[in-house]
Amino acid sequence: MIYLYDGSFDGFLTVIYEHYYSEKATAIYRKKDYQIGLIDESKTIEADSVKSRKVHEALINKFSTETLNNIQYTFLSCDRNKDTYLLHYIEYGFRIGKRLDFDHTHEVVLPVHQLGKRVSFEVHRFLGLLRFQEVGSVLYSAIEPDNDIITLMVSHFADRLKTERFIIHDKKRKQAVIYADGHWYLSDFHIKEELQISEKEKYLNALWKGYFKQIAIKERENLRLQQQFVPKKYRRNIIEFT
Amino acid sequence: MIENALDKLKILADAAKYDVSCASSGADKKNNGKIGNSIAAGICHAWSTDGRCISLLKILLTNYCVYDCSYCINRVSNDVQRASFTPEEVADLTIQFYRRNYIEGLFLSSAIEKNPNHTMEKIYRTLYLLREEHGFSGYIHVKTIPGADPMLIHKTGQLADRMSVNIELPSTKSLKLLAPQKSVKKLMEPMEQINNGIIQYKEEKRHFIHLPKFVPAGQSTQMIIGATKDTDLSIIHTTEKLYNSFNLKRVYFSAYVPVNTGSNLPSLATEPPLKREHRLYQADWLLRFYHFNAEELLDPSQPNFDMEFDPKMTWAFRNMETFPVEINKAPYEMLLRVPGIGMTSARRIIRQRQIANISYDHLNKIGIVMKRAKFFITCNGKFHGQLDMNPEGIKEKLAPKPKFEQLSIFS
Ligand code: SF4
Repeated sequence: MIYLYDGSFDGFLTVIYEHYYSEKATAIYRKKDYQIGLIDESKTIEADSVKSRKVHEALINKFSTETLNNIQYTFLSCDRNKDTYLLHYIEYGFRIGKRLDFDHTHEVVLPVHQLGKRVSFEVHRFLGLLRFQEVGSVLYSAIEPDNDIITLMVSHFADRLKTERFIIHDKKRKQAVIYADGHWYLSDFHIKEELQISEKEKYLNALWKGYFKQIAIKERENLRLQQQFVPKKYRRNIIEFT
Repeated sequence: MIENALDKLKILADAAKYDVSCASSGADKKNNGKIGNSIAAGICHAWSTDGRCISLLKILLTNYCVYDCSYCINRVSNDVQRASFTPEEVADLTIQFYRRNYIEGLFLSSAIEKNPNHTMEKIYRTLYLLREEHGFSGYIHVKTIPGADPMLIHKTGQLADRMSVNIELPSTKSLKLLAPQKSVKKLMEPMEQINNGIIQYKEEKRHFIHLPKFVPAGQSTQMIIGATKDTDLSIIHTTEKLYNSFNLKRVYFSAYVPVNTGSNLPSLATEPPLKREHRLYQADWLLRFYHFNAEELLDPSQPNFDMEFDPKMTWAFRNMETFPVEINKAPYEMLLRVPGIGMTSARRIIRQRQIANISYDHLNKIGIVMKRAKFFITCNGKFHGQLDMNPEGIKEKLAPKPKFEQLSIFS
């Protein structure tokens, strides 16, 4: 049976519950990603917080922190099959327990390690590549990451910019994390008009661009290397490249 | 006198750009002020067109200098544009850049405008403003000015995360030749002082709860590569000694970019020896994480690294009797010595062996670079390289490689 769900973590855990207590899942997809097939049988599962909590507790009891992190990171991957990979990983994990991640080369472990790593790499990359602009009394930033990473990034900035208010806007997913006074929340988000940039902000942008240009050693120029670190697709949201 | 901040920034960033020792790593630190933290892995914020990472605002306080080091763009005898920042300006710029997530912190260095104390005082003042007035907990790395009052250096060390004294040249002879106003002794004094300060802090921390930190991310230094005739052997020997005697966190190497002419200097047309710099970084990595000694990597009969193969591979060629090692039995330290096996894959091998024997098909998935490793390992007793294990044969198999031509430095 192919299970479809709403894309939330609660929804996913509910599917895992159904997999164990009702019909076995052969694959799991987000509803909006799945084209109804003619042959495959599919069923949509509504998120159920009681069932999901039971599964969540089981995961916490049975698995290492490393495994729990892998699950979280892989879940936020943009890979279409990530939920199915996670299903098999979790299933195998319930059999072999805390040493699950030692079995790196196992066919159900490897894909999760790879996806998890890709997501954590992207998080790390965006901790550096994200740029804030001061808009009124708020720091605003827009990013378009491949994976759904803003909730993985926010605690870093919440600590760093403790006394500020900021917004990290995922333009692709039309969502944002909003932080103020020590708390943050995730929200649907879009911006109606162009942002008004103050003169002071424009001046600071110019200072940064001037610095960025000057720091390069022209005798060592290596644009290919630069592009490897900052792929073109990210550049439209990075001030020094605009 | 240049007043415009943008112009000043350009001049003082330009003057600082040849110092490579400014990565932001080595300290996990929560925000305990108003703004700023740091993570040990380091965060790169931007990459300039030379492909190098920018993580810190790297500038000089001033490029007015009374010294005349011959490799340096800012030496007193050069006719370049000069500018100075005030401590207030630097502190403010750092905070504004930091809030916008352009940078991870500050790397502040300086030429010596009047005398060492005057410059060190200004550096201290900048840090004081950042820490006390702005409540900044982010990363700060400062250059120590040799010859400055030890008390001043100590006070600065209580506010900085990392300090460095650049030794610039790896031998006394070279220093005499290119920076006659500096001496090894004068460079070693502040290094020793900082090291002692760090050790003392660690000791005293056990007895006192409130003790100002001292250079928590340790000290580093940099050496210029290719401005003198020093061999790789003497460079990594010096490097090893610095790690051992001063507990340095990092030694950085910087391929010399000719900016001045002079009878003791390579010609202006000399290309920066980037490949050589790269080899030295690889060797440094082997010293720090792979338990190699400098003597194992090079000796007087072979004082420079091979440009075609990396130092670990070269070491393996000279020690063929150590190989092959068995993937399913070898201890971690030995796995680390196999070309094509890095720290991550060595760790994975150890973990995987606790579950089951590792088969040949698994080696790729573990992350081993089989192209290189296969000549040096067996897997369940079976050898998958060529039958006759000899360096020449392996070298040939690993070729063809794009040949890197190093231009002669002393033409
Ligand atoms: S003291 Fe420093 S800034 Fe001055 S000339 Fe020597 S290397 Fe350059």
